[in-house]
Amino acid sequence: MGNMDNGPHIVSAFDEELMGIRAKLAEMGGLAEQMLSDAIEGVERRDIALCEQVIGRDRRLDRLEQETEEQVIRLIALRAPVASDLRLLVASMKMSTTLERVGDLSKSIARRGLDLSRDKPLPITASIARMGREAQRQLSEALDAFVSRDVEAAIAVWRRDVEIDALYNAVFRELITYMMEDPRTITLGSHGLFIAKNLERIGDHATHLAELTYYVAEGEPLTEERPRGPRGYGDGGTSSPAPQTDAGPDAGAESED
Amino acid sequence: MYDHNLAKSVVENDVKFQCEGVNVYYGESHAIKDVNVDLLDKTVTAFIGPSGCGKSTFLRCLNRMNDTIDICRVTGGMKLDGEDIYDRKVDPVQLRARVGMVFQKPNPFPKSIYDNVAYGPRIHGLTSKKSELDEIVESSLRKAAIWNEVKDRLHAPGTGLSGGQQQRLCIARAIATSPEVLLMDEPCSALDPIATAQVEELIDELRESFSVVIVTHSMQQAARVSQKTAFFHLGVMVEYDETTKIFTNPTDQRTQDYITGRFG
Repeated sequence: MGNMDNGPHIVSAFDEELMGIRAKLAEMGGLAEQMLSDAIEGVERRDIALCEQVIGRDRRLDRLEQETEEQVIRLIALRAPVASDLRLLVASMKMSTTLERVGDLSKSIARRGLDLSRDKPLPITASIARMGREAQRQLSEALDAFVSRDVEAAIAVWRRDVEIDALYNAVFRELITYMMEDPRTITLGSHGLFIAKNLERIGDHATHLAELTYYVAEGEPLTEERPRGPRGYGDGGTSSPAPQTDAGPDAGAESED
Repeated sequence: MYDHNLAKSVVENDVKFQCEGVNVYYGESHAIKDVNVDLLDKTVTAFIGPSGCGKSTFLRCLNRMNDTIDICRVTGGMKLDGEDIYDRKVDPVQLRARVGMVFQKPNPFPKSIYDNVAYGPRIHGLTSKKSELDEIVESSLRKAAIWNEVKDRLHAPGTGLSGGQQQRLCIARAIATSPEVLLMDEPCSALDPIATAQVEELIDELRESFSVVIVTHSMQQAARVSQKTAFFHLGVMVEYDETTKIFTNPTDQRTQDYITGRFG
């Protein structure tokens, strides 16, 4: 039904409660963005203190997720929301879960940042940082699109995920090359791979946020076929030893922590 | 969360009532404005909308209850199974046996429980034998989910029952003539939540055999019992769609504002 301008509810307490949930989501969004950018900076600058800060902040995000969920359940029970209100609440619950996961992934990046900082510098940190900035941009634009109910901006984020995927493929190939050349870099390289994978997952979560924005505004799922990068991890490079299925570097990436 | 087809779809059900360009006037006032709607067989259709929006007026057109109001004038076409119910050949009393009605306040006749239910079959001459009538009374009371509560006192006055029981008695009375369509004008507004749940359960069962049209102020009730919902506002039927669609993603801003409590 497009971008509807919804006036206030007759029951003003309902509006206040919805505002409360939006405020929680805004705080979660801000926190997740901060954690991501600090984690990337921590990896890039080999900043142990910064990485530790990121790890410490995850608890706050977890608590916010729990509070948001409680408030949403309470509103569903007490106000029996329908139509746009219902869609907003369901999306809010999913959003808080998604943001909490972004926090987890950022924390995991920071953890690996700690290990990387204690070792000798990883040669491709710059590529990872570039990928990180792309993920950051996706996340922040997805959040902005949600706040302003900007469907066009949400679709733009949704389409752009293919860029992170391309960066991920490049980083993957680069790291594999290094590790093949010098097996002593395998430990470092593995950390790098997991960081890249986490950033790629954060990009997916940003895409999910964009889908939720679309659903809240339009009342329908974003069903169009999403653009996809080339399958596999080698950009078609046949000489690449990259695994041919998704199972390879994915395995365990999400289950850590 | 996205699939509107999860709810049992009723789109393939036959059309029971075909209404075209219906207008209703009370003297000078134009109460219903050009309503076009196909009400489906074996489907519960809910009419929702703010007070005075015309939903009850429209409901009453479906069995010509508005005939009893002198200044009321109905134009347009209303066809029950393809037959114009406002045709001169149609006897409104016969029509009302086919299109039964349950009102907001339970209104049992000041007669026994048995006679309340037997009244319709008797005046329409549906039975000749006492045993047949007994059967109709029992099956109607059973369908209305009140048989177990009244079977031992069928000859006690209907007015002596509780509000919820009286309403179910009135539903039993309405279905005793085996109507094809049952109109319900806020049937639960005088009932407590338990009695309301019983009536709602009943409505769902009645859908197996009849088409049910219910006017309700409770949006939750409309959402719970109906498969199709029509939203009325200022005499206009603003939106008519699958209930799931209306309550998750209505098309019209006025529907959206009303169901989310933003009117005014």
